[in-house]
Amino acid sequence: MNNLCTDIGYLSLNKWGEQLCGDRVEIVEQGENSTVIVLADGMGSGVKANILSSLTSKIISTMMAANMRLEDCVSTIASTLPVCAVRGVAYSTFTIIHIIENEEAEIIQYDNPLLILIRDGKFVEIPKTGTEIEGKMIYKSKISLQENDFLFTMSDGAIHAGVGDSLNFGWERKDIIEFLEMMYDQSYTAKTYASILLEECNHLYGGHPGDDTTVCVVKVRDRSQVNLMIGPPSDRKDTNKMLSLFFSKEGKHIVCGGTTSTITSEFLKKPMIADLDYLDPEIPPTAKIEGVDLVTEGVITISKVLEYAKDVITDNTSYTQWGYKRDGASLISRMLFEEATDINFFVGRAINPAHQNPNLPINFNIKMRLVEELSECLKKMGKRIKVSYF
Amino acid sequence: MKVTICIGSSCHLKGSRQIVEQLQYLVKENHLEDKVELGGTFCMGNCVNGVNVTLDDKLYSLSPETTKDFFDNEILSKVQ
Repeated sequence: MNNLCTDIGYLSLNKWGEQLCGDRVEIVEQGENSTVIVLADGMGSGVKANILSSLTSKIISTMMAANMRLEDCVSTIASTLPVCAVRGVAYSTFTIIHIIENEEAEIIQYDNPLLILIRDGKFVEIPKTGTEIEGKMIYKSKISLQENDFLFTMSDGAIHAGVGDSLNFGWERKDIIEFLEMMYDQSYTAKTYASILLEECNHLYGGHPGDDTTVCVVKVRDRSQVNLMIGPPSDRKDTNKMLSLFFSKEGKHIVCGGTTSTITSEFLKKPMIADLDYLDPEIPPTAKIEGVDLVTEGVITISKVLEYAKDVITDNTSYTQWGYKRDGASLISRMLFEEATDINFFVGRAINPAHQNPNLPINFNIKMRLVEELSECLKKMGKRIKVSYF
Repeated sequence: MKVTICIGSSCHLKGSRQIVEQLQYLVKENHLEDKVELGGTFCMGNCVNGVNVTLDDKLYSLSPETTKDFFDNEILSKVQ
């Protein structure tokens, strides 16, 4: 048993002019620590490719997660997929990453660009063996995982980026590896790294992708807990209970809100020193209390975090903002989206009378909804969330 | 003397940033960096009357429009 877990992120570009993507990523969890990830690329583009890849990825991931033999999975697909009227074959390439107990990865590849392993910032070649199943050459590998391994799998849209246009032969695998090594940063989330690679593909395609392009990244990392407290308890008598519980939790501690940080400062008997630098004109400055990793204002800051979180689970374009800025919202975003795998929210339900002014956009219901929405987004990023109300 | 400006949610929305920036500018312009210390604080528990500013523990209620007057009458007149 180790303390590792996986962070999985993927993103697609559609072929220019297509509304549907012909690539599909399917993730099936197999108990607590095992996962099956399938990336399938259907032949052609548009609706047909979408159906082929959806069927392929769904069938394989479900069968693999149920511990069926690979041969059975492949033959099921071969006999299930509708046959293409133009080409007379049923066809969808696939890559399967089977994470076992977060310790080992079984990698099965059929005709997609070969998986790339980046370990400690450097490319590592994965040994593989070929087997023929139903007339298809399928490569299998098994590797043991280490912390901060990044596994990149992609559809052929990536290696064809810029072919005949900005690059003669497309973006070759060795060039992609070079790019990934150059861009390496251990703190990247899987999704951020996938976005960086995909953005470069889009750029090479001149913004008009000639094929569906999908990148799926699996990051192996340590579990790490972050605790966030917002709002004082509805009953003042619970203040000590709430704060003791909060500070007894392992991991980093974030305190949000003016009153909340004031009671924290009293509880810890340490002064609160507020900063006056507006690093982002929208976001109030942060403060410092010894013993707390981050102290910020409440509702306005968290609203911004939620805005970033919504973007992360969709287009993921704003990481260029929260990824480096030093304002309260960006700092919280980095801690929650990048560092944390397990997040405990401590939410106080006290109503701040001054916020119940109809002219202010920050009333009590908004605060409660913010936390709920943020937890939903974080769950979609694969985080384990616990919310306690006081 | 120490001037503390509330930068909590409510005061933030009522313009504490503009007040902080005006005060920072005025202090510099009058070369009072050694005499006037600007600081921030979170909620002072008086949100209804924000933006809350204290000058050596005396509470004032400011808005971006009244900041210049506050500076002239309360700070400038006392340090000189």
